[in-house]
Amino acid sequence: MVETSLSNAPPSILAVLRTRIERLFKSYLFRSLLQALFTIWLVLSVTFVLIRLMPGSPVDILVDRLVSEQGLTREEALSQAAAMFSVNFNAPIHEQYFQYLGNLLRGDLGVSISSTNTPVIEIIARFLPWTLFSVGLGLLISFVLGLLLGMLMAYWRNSFFDIAISTVASFLSSIPNYLLPIILIYLIGVQWKLLPVARMRGTYDPKLTPSLTPEFIASVLLYAILPVLTYVLSQVGHWALSMKNSTLSVLGEEYVNAAHARGLPQRRILIAYVGRNASLPLFTQLALSVGSVVGGAIIIELFFMYQGIGIRLFEAIGARDYPLMQGIFLMITVSTVLANLLADLLYSQLDPRVRLGTNK
Amino acid sequence: MTHQPVLSIQNLSVAYMARRGMVKAVRDVSFDVFPSETVAVIGESGCGKTTLALALVRLLSRSAKITSGKVIFRGGDHSAPVDVLRLNQRQLRAFRWRNCAMVFQSALNALNPVLKISAQVQETARAHGEHDAKRVEERALWLFQQVRLDPRRVYNAYPHELSGGMRQRVLLALGLLLDPQVVILDEPTTALDVLTQRTIIEVLKRLREEMGFALIFISHDLSMAAELAHRIVTMYAGSVVEIGQVNEVFYRPKHPYTLGLMRAVPNLSGGRAELVSIPGSPPDLIDLPKGCAFAPRCSYAQAICHEQAPPLEMRAPGHASACHFWDRLPVLRELPSSQEVG
Repeated sequence: MVETSLSNAPPSILAVLRTRIERLFKSYLFRSLLQALFTIWLVLSVTFVLIRLMPGSPVDILVDRLVSEQGLTREEALSQAAAMFSVNFNAPIHEQYFQYLGNLLRGDLGVSISSTNTPVIEIIARFLPWTLFSVGLGLLISFVLGLLLGMLMAYWRNSFFDIAISTVASFLSSIPNYLLPIILIYLIGVQWKLLPVARMRGTYDPKLTPSLTPEFIASVLLYAILPVLTYVLSQVGHWALSMKNSTLSVLGEEYVNAAHARGLPQRRILIAYVGRNASLPLFTQLALSVGSVVGGAIIIELFFMYQGIGIRLFEAIGARDYPLMQGIFLMITVSTVLANLLADLLYSQLDPRVRLGTNK
Repeated sequence: MTHQPVLSIQNLSVAYMARRGMVKAVRDVSFDVFPSETVAVIGESGCGKTTLALALVRLLSRSAKITSGKVIFRGGDHSAPVDVLRLNQRQLRAFRWRNCAMVFQSALNALNPVLKISAQVQETARAHGEHDAKRVEERALWLFQQVRLDPRRVYNAYPHELSGGMRQRVLLALGLLLDPQVVILDEPTTALDVLTQRTIIEVLKRLREEMGFALIFISHDLSMAAELAHRIVTMYAGSVVEIGQVNEVFYRPKHPYTLGLMRAVPNLSGGRAELVSIPGSPPDLIDLPKGCAFAPRCSYAQAICHEQAPPLEMRAPGHASACHFWDRLPVLRELPSSQEVG
């Protein structure tokens, strides 16, 4: 029936449909999206296998702990653990797997052990935005600043500016990341007394209620200054030096010379010729660095008592709160994959040579 | 001749500052280029051809310095002659491309890879005060057609979607966009296959008839120079050693270096002439030998050549050479190679 009705339909519709589908599969956006989804699925599945199937898994440890600490029977402990991970251990393994995926899709990541019976997704929803905000802002500022500094260094190579910034940049990128917060707290809080560091715990003034008032926004920015400053200082040197190298090689390219020969204005050459081409390789690095920066949030948030997901992860590890750990790791993975996807799409917009396969 | 040269190069010298000293890449070069005339500058690699071309539009690298000379440009009947070397940045920017377009050696990399051809055409026009995008597009499409490209496809393409020969022709069309009085081509066909070279030569011949620009053509390809040029300038070790009408220079060379260049390439019509390369290598441009720079490699050299540099002087009408023994050279048209140069 279906077949006859299809063959009776005008062939042009079928052909159009087919080219549409082909074009969809060839499009860069679609392929990137597919790749991102596949990566996330892979991580979810590996997490499932790790937690449920391996001997000495978090579930076993949790069950053992419940038995020894709370004097539950093994059955009771198992059912309580099942509730915490929100999974049914008596079901066949493939059903558990689909149940697990279904739960994730609904946002059910289980229940935190340490903070009694709070759903993991609630904890993540409360703390992750602050980490993304501070890390994202820090990364953005350091990237843009590094690009500018690097370009200027390349333009004025061997000048005092170049030598000074190069020295500072390599010095900053070689400081271990746990030393930088200590130095900042000492200088800004203790020596110069610029900020009331001791009172600045958390992500905003506790006396205020979250709202879109200028007062609240100012408080949010004030409390984020030190973490963001730490990110910027630890990253900017790397970006500046990379951009300098990249700019130097682009400056030697024939198309920059040719642009001068064509009488283009200096500004246009600086932005559309040198800047745009030199920053291309840095966008790839940006995508790669997002993951490691989110992971590195732990130390910085601990030092400044900035209430983000990094502190929660640290506490979860200390308290052996496996459902929370699992949830946070999944979230970090997902945000890294999404950041990569974003960088990928941005890159394809900046460099037409990457957009292979798109139909003209 | 009643008409005046469009570009007049006078005693131009360029040196590169190197650690060992000054590399005198262009030494005291003078010649004129007349409207609608094609001048080919020939010589082996490193003789200063490209440095000369870059100096004409002041695109030399930072380490280079123009040590002396003038480049006088006469734009038209109404505009006063200007010295390109004395223009300020704003005037220079206006001079480049509108008056004098330079098509680069490596066309493969001469276009910005992240901008469409259309964007690069439009920004070039805008930089010179052409804001009518529609008119610029029409002109670009017409030019693309003239250089035998598929205008629409090329106009909307990115550089990486075009082949090397296509990019070379895009650059050529882009060079003619603003109808310049002078076009400089630096080794325009070196990276191309023979058939594409042919196309470009044909296109150049036709366009210079139609548009009337003067062409300075830098090449080590003698056959191409012979086919396109009205006059030949031979450069050796940074200076002009011979200059004259194309047939004069190729049939009756008056400098042993030009003769050597011609004997080093196969000649399809020249019978079974033996190929002879020039012995030795070009001199060190930091520490030039006393006397004639070519003397150490020259089979005609006598004692005087190592002592006294010969001046570039007229040896026949419109034919100058810098050689003490210019009259001992064979006349090539009547005398196929029987005398060893090596």
